[in-house]
Amino acid sequence: MISILITLVLVFILQLLFYSWWWIILIPLVVGFLEKDSTVTAAGGNGLGVFVLWFGMSLYQWTFGGEIIVGRIAEVMGTGSGLVLALATGLIGFIVAATSGYAGFSLRKVLIKEYQIS
Amino acid sequence: MRIAKTIIAFAVLIAFFVLLNNSQGSIPPLGKFLNPFAGFWRNGTKLDQVEEILDVKGLRAEVKVVWDERQVPHIFAENTYDAYFAQGLLTARHRLWQMEFQTHVAAGRVSEIIGAKALEFDKLQRRRGLLLGAEHTIKAMESDPETQLTLQAYANGVNTWIESLTPATLPLEYKLLNYEPETWSTLKTALLLKFMAWDLTGRNSEMDLSIIRSAMGVDFVNRFYPDDTPRTDPIIPAAKPWRFDPLIPEELPPSFEPQFVKDLRNNEPDRDNGSNNWAVSGKKTTSGFPILANDPHLGLKLPSIWYEIQLHTPQMNVYGVSLPGAPAVIIGFNENIAWGLTNAGSDVMDWFEIEFKDESYSEYMYLDEWVKSDLRIEEILIKGGEVVLDTFAVTRFGPLVSFGENELENGHPVGLAMRWSAHEPSNEMSAIRGMNLADNMETFFTALEQFDAPGQNFAFAAKDGDIAIRHNGKYPLRGKDQGKFVRAGRDTTVEWREWIPYDQLPVISNPWRGYVSSANQNPVGKKYPYYMGWEYDDYERGSRINDRLGQLKSITLAEMQTLHMDNFNKQAELMLPFLLKQLKPDDLSTVESEIVDDLKLWRYVSDPDQKAAWVYKQWWLQLEKAIWADELTLYGEVRELPTRSVTCEVLLKKPNLVYYDDITTNEVENRQNIISNAFHTTITELSETLGPYGESWELGRARGTDINHLLSVKGLGRTGLYTGGGSGIVNASKKTHGPSWRMLVELGGSPVAKGVYPGGQSGNPGSKYYDNAVDAWVRGDYYDIHFLSSPEIDKNSKLTLTRLRNYQ
Repeated sequence: MISILITLVLVFILQLLFYSWWWIILIPLVVGFLEKDSTVTAAGGNGLGVFVLWFGMSLYQWTFGGEIIVGRIAEVMGTGSGLVLALATGLIGFIVAATSGYAGFSLRKVLIKEYQIS
Repeated sequence: MRIAKTIIAFAVLIAFFVLLNNSQGSIPPLGKFLNPFAGFWRNGTKLDQVEEILDVKGLRAEVKVVWDERQVPHIFAENTYDAYFAQGLLTARHRLWQMEFQTHVAAGRVSEIIGAKALEFDKLQRRRGLLLGAEHTIKAMESDPETQLTLQAYANGVNTWIESLTPATLPLEYKLLNYEPETWSTLKTALLLKFMAWDLTGRNSEMDLSIIRSAMGVDFVNRFYPDDTPRTDPIIPAAKPWRFDPLIPEELPPSFEPQFVKDLRNNEPDRDNGSNNWAVSGKKTTSGFPILANDPHLGLKLPSIWYEIQLHTPQMNVYGVSLPGAPAVIIGFNENIAWGLTNAGSDVMDWFEIEFKDESYSEYMYLDEWVKSDLRIEEILIKGGEVVLDTFAVTRFGPLVSFGENELENGHPVGLAMRWSAHEPSNEMSAIRGMNLADNMETFFTALEQFDAPGQNFAFAAKDGDIAIRHNGKYPLRGKDQGKFVRAGRDTTVEWREWIPYDQLPVISNPWRGYVSSANQNPVGKKYPYYMGWEYDDYERGSRINDRLGQLKSITLAEMQTLHMDNFNKQAELMLPFLLKQLKPDDLSTVESEIVDDLKLWRYVSDPDQKAAWVYKQWWLQLEKAIWADELTLYGEVRELPTRSVTCEVLLKKPNLVYYDDITTNEVENRQNIISNAFHTTITELSETLGPYGESWELGRARGTDINHLLSVKGLGRTGLYTGGGSGIVNASKKTHGPSWRMLVELGGSPVAKGVYPGGQSGNPGSKYYDNAVDAWVRGDYYDIHFLSSPEIDKNSKLTLTRLRNYQ
């Protein structure tokens, strides 16, 4: 639960300031690395954190001034509706962040074994 | 095991990064594009919001901008520099991607954006010499301090906007195509002007006509491709005497058969790139003041080709449409005058077959000697970083556009060079600024002297009562039919050496009939001493406009609006009764009989709900093809067919023409057969594509109008618009082409003006101002134009104010 919040807040602040999408790789990687509990928490927590953030932000942008552009891009990308587009946005965020969280967690495990990091 | 899993996890992560950070074919980089903090989600209507105060670096004084309800900026500046700076800034705010993309197209740099699939286009574009012409032009422009200031101020404004952009506020298309804007330069404005020149003068049938002459003989060409389009009422009434001593062009050498047969018509501009304009004297208007009308017909795209603007300084107050990427107003009005443009259509592009020494193309034969070409090495950057080098030769007959496929009997390779007036140095920007500032006919015509390319018919009206029209531009002095066929570029006789003097160009002011007009038809009658070309538009639009203007007496803006939307098909009026007589009732099926009944009842008005209008159009096209395409399919291509009005004359006056026979069949067809067969074929084809005869056959549904996005991205355009009109009709709306700006101006104490264009001020597909005027345009409605004299606004009005505040 904590990792969901940490990831969500950190990615939110960094993306607000610096825009780049790859914060959803970098932050979950670090948060996953610092995760001590389990693979599920590292991957799922990070994934959910970014999913909530990206899906939520998409809905926010859609609601506040994005009606026209979302309708057009839904047609361009053949998703049919803006909701599908927002879900796809969240889902991509989830998959990438979960993979990243897992990679960070996994790296930590390797390093613990090799260098006895606690 | 853990190590392997970790390696796999990182490999997957890297793959995700690469996939989502880069375009995959036509799919944008999804990580960037879907990012809700900077991707497409941010291109919503929030970007429409205008600020009360905007701090801008680089202004010389504060500039006030009044925005009206359609987001037209009305710029009030204390000096010229600031006015054009603000124009650059605000145009970029609305249209940055479009203005940059169009200059990339002009310069042959599309591969940088969309990859190697545009490489051949880029090579061709560079060989056509748009960049070459722009380089010549920018030198001429920058040698004039005022033009230099205008261009630089505009560029500085654009660059100020570019610097203010964040990844979130980048225009959508940059996000779709995954690239970023570069610094705007004055050369880009010159490129944009060449892009327009190409669009308006780049179509040319010399190659086809040379091939047709070789295959069919000179008599065929003289008979069916005449210099004078039948039934034309010229722009300058034919009776006008010309009181000057004309220059005499040098006699041309005998005709020449080119070796080349390659078809260069690919990517050429639309044949119907034309327009209507007219000016009516105060003697014919209700108000007693002149009225000016204009509707330039161009390819219809989103974002729109025009950007509406008002520019006010202590010296100038002008309103109209500008081209995104160029300062000042191209078509518009000020307190004293109004002007509108149509395409001149005179020939300003000639092709020459050049004999080269070898395949290095570094030397060519001229006056029996080998002379050196100017070899240009072009670096074409491909998206992804690859660079392709392309060498092309420039000769005294222009750049070598096509080569490498044929050689002469002596083994020497040949190529086709293109001489085009837009390659010459010129300063249209100075002319446009002069037009914006002009206050009477004399100052307006003085300004036009510098408007070389593209050649245009300028209709003019002034508050003081003058009206005029001028076939303006830089036209080479030609012998008869020079430029109608490809010539051998070997000696001086075929070269362009002199130009028709400016004071001898076709012009008329204040004619007794009380109006002037043009619709791309032949500008002059037979009395005019110079040969200027032959590919003018058919007679119908010009004739219809003159008919109506002649009949109308107390003219109002509302009547001019009706004339803009006039859907009367003069060609159908001429031909349909004759064609229907050729159909034998016994040969008609039930549905064909029903259609014939509808055609008989049709009053030749191509309104969108008319099924007959579309059936007639398709029948005519089928008939043209049936008469000519069999003989004129040469070297595997259907070549330029005779014009619509020539075919009308042939059908009406030549009952036994040999070309009625379809040489691809065993039967011998005659005029009646071919008309009747064309009808049956048309109905069969329309039934297959549109289904049973009914609503789907209405002109507005079967054809209608599509306004596609510049990149043809589905979903970003407006398609299936229910429009009438068509080719040869005053309302020249077609499938993807038509009136790109309709403007009416009544001069007087303060000008009263109306206008509409099929799009909106913003280039952002997520903006409510992207296509907000399309429906009004379809209906034929206009917006009342706010021609403001001060930036003071009533708080209860829909106008808003932005102060552009200078900060250092």
